Amino acid sequence: MAYDPITLGILWNRLISITDEIVASLVRTSFSTVVRESYDLSCVLLDARGHSLAQGSWSGTAFVGTIPKTVRHLLKRFPPETLKPGDVLATNDPWLGTGHLFDITVTRPVFRKSRLLGFTTTVTHLPDIGGRGFSSNAREVYEEGLRLVPCKLYDRGKPVAAMFELIRSNVRVADQVIGDINANITANELGSARLLTFMDEYGIEDLSSLSDSILSHSEQAMRAEIAKIPPGTYTNTVMAEGVDGDITIACRIDVSGDRISIDYAGSSPQSSFAINTPFCYTYAFTAYALKCLTIPDIPNNEGAFRPVVASAPTGSILNPTFPAATGGRHALGHFVPTAIFGALQSVLPERVLADPGLINLIRFYGRNLQGERFSTVYFASGGMGAHAHGDGLTATPAPSNICSTPVEIFETLTGILVSRRAIRPDSGGRGRHRGGHGQEIQFVNATDHPVSLSLFANRTRFAARGFQGGCDGAPRLVLLNGQPVDPKSQQELAPGETVDFAEAGGGGFGPPEGRDPSVIARDERGAMVKAGTV
Amino acid sequence: MQPFKRSWVPTSPGRGQPRPTWRLGIDIGGTFTDFVFIDTRTGKIHTEKRLTTADDPARSVFEGINTLLEATGATVADISTFVHGTTLAINAVIERKGARTGLLTTMGFSDTIELGRETRYDLYDLKLRFPVPLVGRQLRKEVKERIGPRGDVLTPIDPDDVLEHTRALVEQDRIESLAVCFLHSYLNPEHERAAKQAIARTFPDLPVSISSEVTPSVREYERTSTVVVNAYVQPVVAGYLGRIESWLATRGLRGSFLLMTSSGGTISSATARALPVRLLESGPVAGMQMASLLASLRSDRNVLAFDMGGTTSKGYVVVAGEAEKTYQWEIARVHEFKVGSGLPIQSPAMKLVEIGSGGGSIAAIDRRGVLQVGPRSSGASPGPACYGSGGVAPTITDANVLLGFLGAESFLGGRMRLQTERAAGAIDEALGKPLGLGTLEAAWGIHEMANEDISRAFRIHAAERGIDVGGFTMIAFGGAGPLHAVRVAQKLRMRRVVVPLRAGVFSALGLLTAPIAFDVASTRRTYVSALTTEEIARHFTPLEDVAMQFVLKTGLPRGQVKISRELEVRYFGQGHEVVVKLPRRAGVTPEMIASLFHKAYQRTYQTTIKLDYELEVMNWRVELVGPNPRIELRQEQHESGDPVAKGTRLAHFNGPGRGVRAMVFDRSQLHVGQTVSGPAIVEEVESSLVIPPGHAAVVDPWLNLVIDLDQASGQHGV
Repeated sequence: MAYDPITLGILWNRLISITDEIVASLVRTSFSTVVRESYDLSCVLLDARGHSLAQGSWSGTAFVGTIPKTVRHLLKRFPPETLKPGDVLATNDPWLGTGHLFDITVTRPVFRKSRLLGFTTTVTHLPDIGGRGFSSNAREVYEEGLRLVPCKLYDRGKPVAAMFELIRSNVRVADQVIGDINANITANELGSARLLTFMDEYGIEDLSSLSDSILSHSEQAMRAEIAKIPPGTYTNTVMAEGVDGDITIACRIDVSGDRISIDYAGSSPQSSFAINTPFCYTYAFTAYALKCLTIPDIPNNEGAFRPVVASAPTGSILNPTFPAATGGRHALGHFVPTAIFGALQSVLPERVLADPGLINLIRFYGRNLQGERFSTVYFASGGMGAHAHGDGLTATPAPSNICSTPVEIFETLTGILVSRRAIRPDSGGRGRHRGGHGQEIQFVNATDHPVSLSLFANRTRFAARGFQGGCDGAPRLVLLNGQPVDPKSQQELAPGETVDFAEAGGGGFGPPEGRDPSVIARDERGAMVKAGTV
Repeated sequence: MQPFKRSWVPTSPGRGQPRPTWRLGIDIGGTFTDFVFIDTRTGKIHTEKRLTTADDPARSVFEGINTLLEATGATVADISTFVHGTTLAINAVIERKGARTGLLTTMGFSDTIELGRETRYDLYDLKLRFPVPLVGRQLRKEVKERIGPRGDVLTPIDPDDVLEHTRALVEQDRIESLAVCFLHSYLNPEHERAAKQAIARTFPDLPVSISSEVTPSVREYERTSTVVVNAYVQPVVAGYLGRIESWLATRGLRGSFLLMTSSGGTISSATARALPVRLLESGPVAGMQMASLLASLRSDRNVLAFDMGGTTSKGYVVVAGEAEKTYQWEIARVHEFKVGSGLPIQSPAMKLVEIGSGGGSIAAIDRRGVLQVGPRSSGASPGPACYGSGGVAPTITDANVLLGFLGAESFLGGRMRLQTERAAGAIDEALGKPLGLGTLEAAWGIHEMANEDISRAFRIHAAERGIDVGGFTMIAFGGAGPLHAVRVAQKLRMRRVVVPLRAGVFSALGLLTAPIAFDVASTRRTYVSALTTEEIARHFTPLEDVAMQFVLKTGLPRGQVKISRELEVRYFGQGHEVVVKLPRRAGVTPEMIASLFHKAYQRTYQTTIKLDYELEVMNWRVELVGPNPRIELRQEQHESGDPVAKGTRLAHFNGPGRGVRAMVFDRSQLHVGQTVSGPAIVEEVESSLVIPPGHAAVVDPWLNLVIDLDQASGQHGV
């Protein structure tokens, strides 16, 4: 059955609204600040074949790219014909899931009577998964915690008690972890009820033809945009800080007609520390970058992945092999869109974004003022890169998307005090359009116990680069009691001690001489830049 | 503008009251200002409608009052109650016409208002925008003080430090209003209060808003945003209210002057001047009050109010006579109504859903190659293509003209002729040709897409509360509401559509039915299991005292105030709560709270999961409400005979190509008990009701048009 453009729009929007409702439920029923305040989550609807159809308007950047593949992995282990109504499947395997153990992918097959109609799937970042805890410093995945290969959490509507006991007994802050897993299950339960209502209402027996229409619309739109890029080969190399040496990320982009392929040959070999980026994550950020450049305004679905061919050498930092440690995979994976934007800046200057200052994940583990254990991640954003039409946004996450935890909530949960959270003036790279400023944030351990701190900071030596003549942003600083420390390390913060972060600024766009004087005056008035500089 | 002629007579006129005896309701909307004036001795209702004088809204208010006084022979001294609803506060924010405002914060946190929550509301749009903060960086100062997460003082406040910053802001930066927000002030307001007192002594004329008075709730960005909005609109609102008050005072007002709040109660003008943030949604709420009034008159307990205007549609659900409130919302979105692109507000408001589908919403083919309607709008200028004022983009109104739902000759009572050919041209150009569709096909697509978008938004809105509006009654109003009402109601499987006569006037009447009310909340974390009945009472008492002070300012006697208590409860460790309404009787136990929580949680999230976790109370909330003013409208006399049509018109009720000849009626000529059978269109000045074939509208005793829907026909294809 073919859908006319009007009907298709109506049905398509409705599917998106179902995913939005799943996200709302997930946020409101979750326990960890990582999910409920920081929105480190995603939600996707898939058809019975495992093709993604729609995603929540609020969704993590990478997860929407990994979910369809994860669901297919789950279906390999639990073939569709063996699934029953009320089953819930899950995995956190880094290679099958999102690249590290901390994210759990939870999927629920949706049935009408005995017929499988599709899947609703959510991912959330768990507050803990056991092992040595979230850090860059593990040497093998075994150290990083509990790996759940594809498994069933619910079997025909009943919890698989052994799985819940296994998880509960292997993690810190077990109530939060189990609570968050239940939030995933609740949200998918709601989502499948909504999908059924939708299909009943419109008399849709099977999602395949709707799915085909949506996916082919997106695919064609994306191919049409790719075809507008001048054919050719575009390359770029970006550098990033590793744990025991610098990392190179090299990309080569081949554009030919409506096809585009990206290869990461020339990138560093896999690391012996936990900064390896499994290919599922590399691919997700590759597809994300290309979607931003081609069809940013079309709702995302699998159609936007089809035109994207990507490869990375096996055993490289962007395609490591088991049992590489991957906990801090974001610390390098976030450079993937940057590498692609840089490669294409000469042919798509109107569309790219100069390098972002990137987000800083800071994991705190300790005991709060009540003596209760906490394990949480604070997300602090650097500045976004500038673009051809405007300044970069101050302290805004890119390319991943997250939300900061309110200081009042963070302090209440941890007993750690935030003594300052302020715009970092002059940190955005100068340019015709200035890069977004980073921020300065200081934490004081105001508890009676030591706090363990895991650092994943990047852009400490390799600043966000300006594009088209724009200047680089200020690099990131990490200071323990006022002294610089290894930005990818585990540290202990004794009671009364402080840790300071000066988050990186985004890159500028265009030569600084071209900046509008009235905008400079505004920046100076707000002390955003030093007077007299451009 | 002719004053509105029709009048009602209440069945039970107020008897024997000493003067003053008149009640006045005035609702200022974007286009019209509506007035109702009731003589409670005779029960007679007088109305007036004027164009809003946007440059100075007080002018149309004074003119309208004078007109009514002349017509009735009453004087200002005869007015017992004047209730006012106004969009003044929200417009000051949207148009950035508020006061030059300063902000004092905790040391280290003056940028909170600009850093926000560090999130992108659109994942793929790299050029997204955020609102510029209402207070620029140079007007934000940091004070040496700190309260800890348990409410303990870590660094004491120094009043001299506060004064030094304030002096700089006043003398160098010429601020006209000041906001203060310190960390954890929701737990311990002492520092904010100390700052306010110090400032009041030295700068007695500077308006100061402190966050612990405006919204004592956790989350510093949202709280700062709210107190800043309060300070930003405060001088504007105070100036306006002051003018009205002195105008009334010089004319001998003896009665009370009350303002409609976002949450559907009324407050004294003194309270409104201190807390103008409470007035932000005052405008739409009047319409929703009207819907609640109608529902109670008609004994419809479950209602969806549907207000479709020129730029947006709003919806509001009442279940079993109870409306829901929200305490966290957003205003003045800067990017296509996208959630996250506005300024967050923590303040009680009726829970409305608003989407960018209004008569002026523009239809276009989006990048997917599919039709999209809104949220971009042609606004009042240039307006829809058919207005002939230069608009070239096709809008919902253009589609409705082509489909025959709006009369080209009778729009706005014939004051504006709609240009059908321009509507057709715009639709062909933007949609018909590129999509290979005929004009009517494309017009139908626009109409139907709007219906779908609206019903989708309403469905989600209701579903978030665990409600299905199937079987509810829709009350439809606004310029475009009655055009879309039946189709939207069908999609939602609703039971009935009610279209009030001259909804604008009813909005003003809705003002007069709102009780005096005030609610306050505070954040106080505690385990449910750790509470005792006595402690519960002890937590609520100070809140009730604060709210009572505000309520008593209206002149209402204490004995007439009803107090209701609510807790916001969650599983320990969660970040979001569900509302638990406590029973009125004394002796609430923790077990009672737990049981109410589990029920509310399972209903809200439609889940069977019940966790064995501690329960935690987060927010304590009390609402004080005065008696509901009674307005009993007389039921009009039943008249026999069939209604007389004023003409016929070709209209397309069921898609393109299947046009049928519809009877066209003039609403003012319809009488109680008469039935209008579809296909028909009933026209009035501001709107037209579309009655599809197979349906019929009956005029009820209050002159509403009522269409009962066959629920079996709720099933629909697309």
